Amino acid sequence: MADTATPSAPAAGKEPLLRVEDLRKYFPIRQGFFGRSVTQVRAVDGVTFDVFPGETMAVVGESGCGKTTAGRCLVRAFEPTGGSILYRNRDGDEVALDTLDNKSLKPVRRELRMIFQDPFSSLNPRMTVMDIIGDPLRVHSIASGSELEDRVADMLLRVGLRPEYMRRYPHAFSGGQRQRIGIAKALILSPQLVVADEAVSALDVSVQAQILNLLQDLQAEFDLTYVFIAHDLSVVEYIANRVSVMYVGKMVETAATDELYHNPKHPYTEALLSAVPRPDPRERSQRIVLEGDVPDPAHPPSGCYFHPRCRYAQDMCATETPELRPIGEGHEVACHLAEDLDLRGITDLVPRD
Amino acid sequence: MSNSNHNAGADILLDIRGLKTYFHLDEGTVRAVDGVDFTVPRGTTIGIVGESGCGKSVTAFSILQLVEKPGRIEEGSIVLNTGGQNRVDIAALDHDSEELRQIRGKDIGMIFQEPMTSLSMMYTVGFQMTEAIRLHMDVEKDEARDRAIEMLQAVGIPRPEQRFDAYPFELSGGMRQRVMIAMALSCDPMLLIADEPTTALDVTTQAQILELMQQLQEEFGMAIMLITHDLGVVAEMCSEVVVMYLGEVVEQADVDTIFHNPQHPYTQALLESIPRLGHSHEGRLNPILGSVPDPYHRPSGCPFHPRCTQIITGRCETVHPEISRLDPRHTVRCLLHEDPHG
Ligand SMILES: Nc1ncnc2c1ncn2[C@@H]1O[C@H](COP(=O)(O)OP(=O)(O)OP(=O)(O)O)[C@@H](O)[C@H]1O
Ligand SMILES: Nc1ncnc2c1ncn2[C@@H]1O[C@H](COP(=O)(O)OP(=O)(O)OP(=O)(O)O)[C@@H](O)[C@H]1O
Ligand code: SF4
Ligand code: SF4
Ligand SMILES: [Mg+2]
Ligand SMILES: [Mg+2]
Repeated sequence: MADTATPSAPAAGKEPLLRVEDLRKYFPIRQGFFGRSVTQVRAVDGVTFDVFPGETMAVVGESGCGKTTAGRCLVRAFEPTGGSILYRNRDGDEVALDTLDNKSLKPVRRELRMIFQDPFSSLNPRMTVMDIIGDPLRVHSIASGSELEDRVADMLLRVGLRPEYMRRYPHAFSGGQRQRIGIAKALILSPQLVVADEAVSALDVSVQAQILNLLQDLQAEFDLTYVFIAHDLSVVEYIANRVSVMYVGKMVETAATDELYHNPKHPYTEALLSAVPRPDPRERSQRIVLEGDVPDPAHPPSGCYFHPRCRYAQDMCATETPELRPIGEGHEVACHLAEDLDLRGITDLVPRD
Repeated sequence: MSNSNHNAGADILLDIRGLKTYFHLDEGTVRAVDGVDFTVPRGTTIGIVGESGCGKSVTAFSILQLVEKPGRIEEGSIVLNTGGQNRVDIAALDHDSEELRQIRGKDIGMIFQEPMTSLSMMYTVGFQMTEAIRLHMDVEKDEARDRAIEMLQAVGIPRPEQRFDAYPFELSGGMRQRVMIAMALSCDPMLLIADEPTTALDVTTQAQILELMQQLQEEFGMAIMLITHDLGVVAEMCSEVVVMYLGEVVEQADVDTIFHNPQHPYTQALLESIPRLGHSHEGRLNPILGSVPDPYHRPSGCPFHPRCTQIITGRCETVHPEISRLDPRHTVRCLLHEDPHG
């Protein structure tokens, strides 16, 4: 746990592994009579952050705020609409992921892998566990035959599954075991960077703890960098070195985990932290209940996207869009009033006895 | 909270004893609920927790006699006390009797784990709500409409007159959940059974719904049976907690005792396995050993013994523990706490 105790350590003095700037991904949607008018869902609408080697960078936010879409752009499962993604590959060269064609992408894809959100639908039910996990080795012509089998068996052991189960189909496994299969599939190519999309959200609390421990062990063993997408802030506090908060397609705050949780600078982050139910009846928190629903990314509000729900909003917030800007010590925030507000972090939200 | 004393029969709204609900399948019998006892005091919130598959939903379905074939209530009583001497054993009623239909939706409202169980995509929100209201209340269409709109307003749906004519697919997840709560509450039930009412929602939407349930409880005085595996939600909402494992109640106590002085090894392990906000530097998470056994291969003796770190070797594998009462409001099913008086 030394790694989470010193959240900024992995970043110190190192070049970023990934530099994401103003990333955008719009989906066209048809609306109106006969679907004639076309508008756009701005699923990701200006996301900027760096990821340093060896760290766990978490991306949090409400359902539909664009986390999965952003994650898919990072591994180039989606082609971004705009912005840039610079990635430092294993040879130390910086490549522009956003502009690479398919052929030049192939070697990079080995180094960037994704663990998918849903352990129940992301595994092909007609493939055996061996075919599922071994498939990337075959696609990249790395191993075949008995060598492939050995590598799959070895990987299964690493993620805590018995190699004897190799010929079984996914339905014969529990949710936690399926998530391990998904992890094994992502790691079989020895990637540098793993985007874990809600890797534990669908799991029972006890299984969740096993998978979180496993992800940490594997990170140490294989020198992995994680982009950890999640909406559970207790899980994120436990696993991440740094955290970025998204709201309706935009990054609104980024900071080291401790700093963000104890000293949030964006009103939305404050509301999110206050809403997490504490598993202790003596710490019944004072939740900040946000009025209204999350805005529709096809029709975002004017100015600061959070202004219709923000308890601190001023006139300017409805007209002027705040930019993400540094406010010291690796802390970035997109709020006009960041310096003037005295927001409550997790320590202040809990009444002390 | 003093009204949860087990002897104070008058304050008990629902009294479940020895409930067994089994599923008879070709592969064998699943003892989904295998001897469950607990009581729900009037006007309070009681939490039912436990890992996936431990029988929380089947317990809820049993209370309304909505268990689907091949499932069946095998034994036990579910006594609902609607006031005074008005007691009825739901388990003894015919599953499609008029009396039971009146209880469902009128005395007991339910929010189902699968939203689609209770909301049809084919009909408008308003149509479904007025149908439900007119089934239980002797009112004209107009009156039912007013009542429905009033409930939509009460659960915080903006522009309820317009939402009345909306189809469920036109609403966001959080709004659909509110509509379900509005429907469950439209007949002023004495008990609301809420099966994972916020699990599919964001923390911020969840906060809205929890706040709403607390407000409505204060306003209407109903009891809530809150089923969830989220211990955070339980700590925030409940006054009493029932912990289930493989179809049995393994521990029951007031919420403070469950979180600060749990006595069953399973409750202790469950609490140790969760990440807690503000405690991330206290070391690795401590998962419960192994995993929930598959329902056809129930362990002998204490069903928790293969995962228990405090196992009494030689006894726990063979002896099935009885319930011991540690104090009037605290019961536990574990051989470490065997009741000396039997
Ligand atoms: N292929 C697509 N076509 C059109 N819209 C899409 C598509 N994929 C995602 N969206 C929209 O983009 C927005 C962001 O979706 P995304 O799945 O990235 O959210 P998320 O933050 O991962 O949410 P969740 O927490 O629910 O997984 C949503 O409004 C979604 O409806
Ligand atoms: N229709 C059914 N047919 C066969 N078995 C069933 C059926 N419904 C439930 N069961 C079994 O009964 C047991 C208890 O299920 P139940 O749905 O009550 O669990 P739960 O505690 O609500 O879990 P979750 O947290 O996943 O909702 C499980 O082993 C389940 O597989
Ligand atoms: S810019 Fe204004 S509306 Fe937006 S978060 Fe800051 S105070 Fe609130
Ligand atoms: S009865 Fe034995 S195995 Fe079961 S919980 Fe108690 S100590 Fe553990
Ligand atoms: Mg997602
Ligand atoms: Mg259930």
